[in-house]
Amino acid sequence: MTLDWAVVWQHRDALVAGARTTVLLAVATMAIALPCGAIVAVLRLYAGEPVRTLATAYVEFFRNLPLILVVYWAFYVLPILTGLGLSPFATGLAALALNVTAYNAETFRAGINSIRRGQTEAAMALGMSRVQALRRIVIPQALRRILPVLASTWVSLFKDTSLVSVIAVTELAYVSMQIRAQTFRVLEMLTAMAVIYWFLGYPQAKLVDWIQRRYAVTE
Amino acid sequence: MDFDFAVIADHAHFLAYGVGVTLALSALSGLTSLVTGFVVALLRLYGPRWLRPAVILYIDSMRAIPVLVVLVWAFFALPIVTGLTMPPFAAALIGLTIHLAAYAAEIVRAGIESVRPGQTRAALALGMSRQQILRRIILPQAIVRMLPALGSLLSITIKDTAIASVIAVPELMRQSETVAGQSFQPIEVYTFAMLVYFLLLFPVTRGVDLFYRRVAHLGRS
Repeated sequence: MTLDWAVVWQHRDALVAGARTTVLLAVATMAIALPCGAIVAVLRLYAGEPVRTLATAYVEFFRNLPLILVVYWAFYVLPILTGLGLSPFATGLAALALNVTAYNAETFRAGINSIRRGQTEAAMALGMSRVQALRRIVIPQALRRILPVLASTWVSLFKDTSLVSVIAVTELAYVSMQIRAQTFRVLEMLTAMAVIYWFLGYPQAKLVDWIQRRYAVTE
Repeated sequence: MDFDFAVIADHAHFLAYGVGVTLALSALSGLTSLVTGFVVALLRLYGPRWLRPAVILYIDSMRAIPVLVVLVWAFFALPIVTGLTMPPFAAALIGLTIHLAAYAAEIVRAGIESVRPGQTRAALALGMSRQQILRRIILPQAIVRMLPALGSLLSITIKDTAIASVIAVPELMRQSETVAGQSFQPIEVYTFAMLVYFLLLFPVTRGVDLFYRRVAHLGRS
């Protein structure tokens, strides 16, 4: 077995571009999934029927599906549903956003529900409206509990972006496997891919641990 | 837009085989990663001091690397290193176990650490050995507390088996891809696959919830 690690260095530009797409994809997904997740959570908690049931069904459906299947589904179905020719990046982004929105909605809902009802009742007894009680009393406390969960969702999302490689989004996993196919340097390229993901992901995992310690809820 | 779900009936056998492989891979990798995770957690908590940094590095690395990368590495690169070629199913089992055992280990560790140290001290004062304390005092309470997290790990395991399609394990995802490609009816096939996965996963998440509510009192201290 002769190994040629130079192949990794020769393709550094493509790998860096791939890593950049990975980061961009994760950031864009979270930028969509945070507000959308909040909206879905609010609909689930405060909207009337049938909206409430629809929001619940959406969350439960996407939380119980493998993401890779959602990616394929989006790839084949979105162009037909929307009539648009979407780029692989846009399709991957849509699939990831659908998935992460469901998770975020559940996180927001659980966070708001974790604040005892007595607090809302006390706030209303002081003359606040329901919206005021939510904005001034419930949400500030809920955010502290939501943040650690969002942080670990972020790390999962960062890793899950690798799944959109199956529809040829040129992110890190796709780029690495393309180079592998062109150069036949299987062990070198796959190891390089793992190492790059490690360098990107390891500090994030450690940061999540820190956030979880910092915002741990002790009751 | 015309939909023709007859394609599902035409390939019912082929898809049912995929469901079988998905279930088998989920059950096996769930089991092996639980056992491995348990050992890893015990090594992290009670193992020799020099081994602990390595165990922590392993756990945190698996939390940093996508499961796709682990699976692809196990299938394509591991045989080059070891000189042994593996069928896709075995590679998927190994890859999933390496990845999920790290998560299982963290769950087991959190469960064990959730039992207050006062209980260990009390048991020591009663003359129990460390092993006895773990077996009789800590684990009975800790295991109950681990159940919700282990339940969601099981549903993650089932979802992750779909990623094994990229290394050609003939599970439901892969079989669906094949049927979709041959029949030129991807929408029908993938929508059907979605329904099947949902029907597999939803009872698992719900069942774990219900079961935990029944036994939660056993974990109180």
